[in-house]
Amino acid sequence: MSGRIATVRALAFRGLNEVVRVPGAAIPSLLAPTIFLLGFVSMFGNLTELPGFTSDDFVSFVLPVMMLQGAGFTGAATGVNLARDIEQGWFDRLLASPAPRPVLLAGMIASASVRALLPTSVLLVVAFAIGADYPGVVGLLVALVFVAAFAALAAAWGIVLALRFKTQSAAPLMQAGTFMAVMFTTSYAPLELLTGWLRAVATVNPVTRVIEAVRQGFVAGEVSWALTWPGLVAVAGLGAVLVALALRGMARSGR
Amino acid sequence: MRLAANARVVAALGRRSVKQTFRRPQFLAPILLFPSLLLAVNTGGAGRATEIPGFPEVAGFLDFELAGAMLQSTMLVGVSGGIALALDIEIGFLDRLVAAPISRSAMVLGRLAATAALGVVVATWFVALGLVFGARVEAGVAGVALIFVLVSLSAMAFGGLGAALALAAGRASVVQGIFPLVFVILFLSSAFFPRELMLEPAATVALYNPLSLIAEGIRAPVIAGISAGSLLEGLFGIAVVGGLGFALSALALRRRLRTG
Amino acid sequence: MPAAIETHALARSFKGDVVAVAGIDLEVAEGEIYAFLGPNGAGKTTTVRMLTTLLAPTGGRASVAGHDVAGEADAVRRSIGVALQEAALDPLMTGRELMLLQATLHALPRAEGRRRAEALLERVDLADAADRRVGTYSGGMRRRLDLASALVHEPAVLFLDEPTTGLDPVSRLTIWEEVQKLNDAGTTVFLTTQYLEEADRLADRVGIIDRGTMAAEDTPAALKAGIRDPRLELTIADGGADRARDVLTRFGEVAPAADGRVSVSLGGGRGQVAAIVRALDDAGLMMDSLDVVEPTLDDVFVAKTGRGLDDQRAREQEQRERSGDEQLVVEPARQ
Repeated sequence: MSGRIATVRALAFRGLNEVVRVPGAAIPSLLAPTIFLLGFVSMFGNLTELPGFTSDDFVSFVLPVMMLQGAGFTGAATGVNLARDIEQGWFDRLLASPAPRPVLLAGMIASASVRALLPTSVLLVVAFAIGADYPGVVGLLVALVFVAAFAALAAAWGIVLALRFKTQSAAPLMQAGTFMAVMFTTSYAPLELLTGWLRAVATVNPVTRVIEAVRQGFVAGEVSWALTWPGLVAVAGLGAVLVALALRGMARSGR
Repeated sequence: MRLAANARVVAALGRRSVKQTFRRPQFLAPILLFPSLLLAVNTGGAGRATEIPGFPEVAGFLDFELAGAMLQSTMLVGVSGGIALALDIEIGFLDRLVAAPISRSAMVLGRLAATAALGVVVATWFVALGLVFGARVEAGVAGVALIFVLVSLSAMAFGGLGAALALAAGRASVVQGIFPLVFVILFLSSAFFPRELMLEPAATVALYNPLSLIAEGIRAPVIAGISAGSLLEGLFGIAVVGGLGFALSALALRRRLRTG
Repeated sequence: MPAAIETHALARSFKGDVVAVAGIDLEVAEGEIYAFLGPNGAGKTTTVRMLTTLLAPTGGRASVAGHDVAGEADAVRRSIGVALQEAALDPLMTGRELMLLQATLHALPRAEGRRRAEALLERVDLADAADRRVGTYSGGMRRRLDLASALVHEPAVLFLDEPTTGLDPVSRLTIWEEVQKLNDAGTTVFLTTQYLEEADRLADRVGIIDRGTMAAEDTPAALKAGIRDPRLELTIADGGADRARDVLTRFGEVAPAADGRVSVSLGGGRGQVAAIVRALDDAGLMMDSLDVVEPTLDDVFVAKTGRGLDDQRAREQEQRERSGDEQLVVEPARQ
């Protein structure tokens, strides 16, 4: 058992090399969510004037979206990196070892979860500086747990695609998938204010529950079980499906 | 004779650039896919923005957003052209071209032609997308033609900026790292929202941002009609970006050739 | 004694009915060095990928270290060390980190993993470079590191896919010596190569693979002996060539050789050389030089397959085979 944990840790650390050991490589992914936040607030900040908008502070309202967006792109990058590892033959090294496949998967996913906390930290600092509401310790912790979990989901998604296509050319698919998952929700406005098709999509999109769970602390200033458990269920459900698909992809990688 | 030979070189280089983009989904997809997705979310999520007091008279929010999506797309054309050029530098293809008896202008024109062609693809895609989802081009066929011209010119202008970046950095990963910057400049313009309704300090920046002029130039035929004023403003914005791009490219190329 | 590697009608085809390996039977004994010799695209890599559980066979079966590659993949993976073509190493890791990761993947206890990593790094002469990133290593250093990493868990069977392709002669020699030492210590080695010299020098037995099937298999000496007799090549001093030919025909089949020399087959073995020299001397013919030329594995290869080892079309076939489907152009981007 301790050997398996060691494997997960070793693979997660290797994943961190991508940001720690390549000079400058971390900067775009570190800053992108913050840039998005500033841009969105500047452009759409006046949406709060619409009757029925549940918050008068657009920064606090979209901050959770940008946190998850950053986590999503970090996860997608894990998929792109796996595709590169497959192309270059590195992944064969892992597959030819007796390490259990779920352990290999856990290692890659864990690195995404840890990496996702970097852009989120930058984002939070900037957001608080421009007036986002402090969600309280519990609210912040809940948000961070969901951010890490969502990065894991996005990583699993990227891994599924990487195992399927085995080429970095699939990168836009990985990124677009997580982008849509996060944005086709109550990302810009409460459900009631979304127009036709987006309202329909956001209603059934499980990521809407995740966003609402992260958002509760920032917008309402308190955490309630009623807004938390749907998020947990959404993460668990998506996780079960994506992990199963990823494991299937691994098992079939030599077919 | 010389002219014909040069034309053949331009055509060959242009064809290669276009193929480079179309054969690699990871190049082409971001150009059309990401602006389309952002367009979808913007119209779905902020569609009710037209109800905010002070929003300009438009048939729908999609009509308003189309220009922003096209502008974003042409900026991505510029970035991806820059990445392609940087890769050419990395693998030594540029050196081969420079060493060949090809005039510098033919090299530049080849790439520009390819960029303009991508601009046409971008304009076609978004006009079609807009029409399918219920937008209307108020200025009719002439308006659509004008959009094609402005979008192609805009693609060429950003192509110049992308080339400058590639020539200065010489590495694809650096050019790729500029990607997020595309959004900064774009968000600080009136590409996706009326300038008067943006929050400060972005609203002030947008006032002086040449991208606002380009976006509004492309937008006018969609939501209002052809007017000399907005057309000239749009062309002026493109000229600013393009002039900057080509001046920087020339500088960077000269430095690159001098230092080897 | 059980065979270290055993295959029966092992086959693999890819999408679009590309048959890479078309039914191979082979048996490698414990402690043997077995070389798979063939041009690019012959099916070498595909075979190795099947034997190392990276690729599922589409026909036949194979067992390694007594375990079925399809049904008991985990047991196979515990028994084998693998160093694949074009050493896939992460340029961002240091040599030591790679060794420790490999030890972890094989679930060695931490202290034990460290001990073996150090010992192996020392052994392949990378101790000084152990804390440098692999990206700064030379080609030879990378192969040595890759080899060392395949040994961390002391595997019973070692697979080396083209271990020296692209290496300079000195680095190649280092790898050969290391492989020889490992084998002396009891490790079974299965290697693929397109270098005849490599197969000749290292292998106890050689399998010649061509277009997915086994064209010939034996010890290098027997393979060479099997295709033709050794030949005696002579340079006859001026003007005597025609008369020499008449003399030589008495001993065997005569043919012109390079540089105006003449050669004769030694059907009766090397022992005939003395008799030939005497006969030429009796005829008053002077010789400037003479050499006995043994057939090479190259000759064996040409004899068995009708082609040389360098075949460009085959090279491209291998490319497709490795990826399993169409190759896409790819940027070396890091995210």
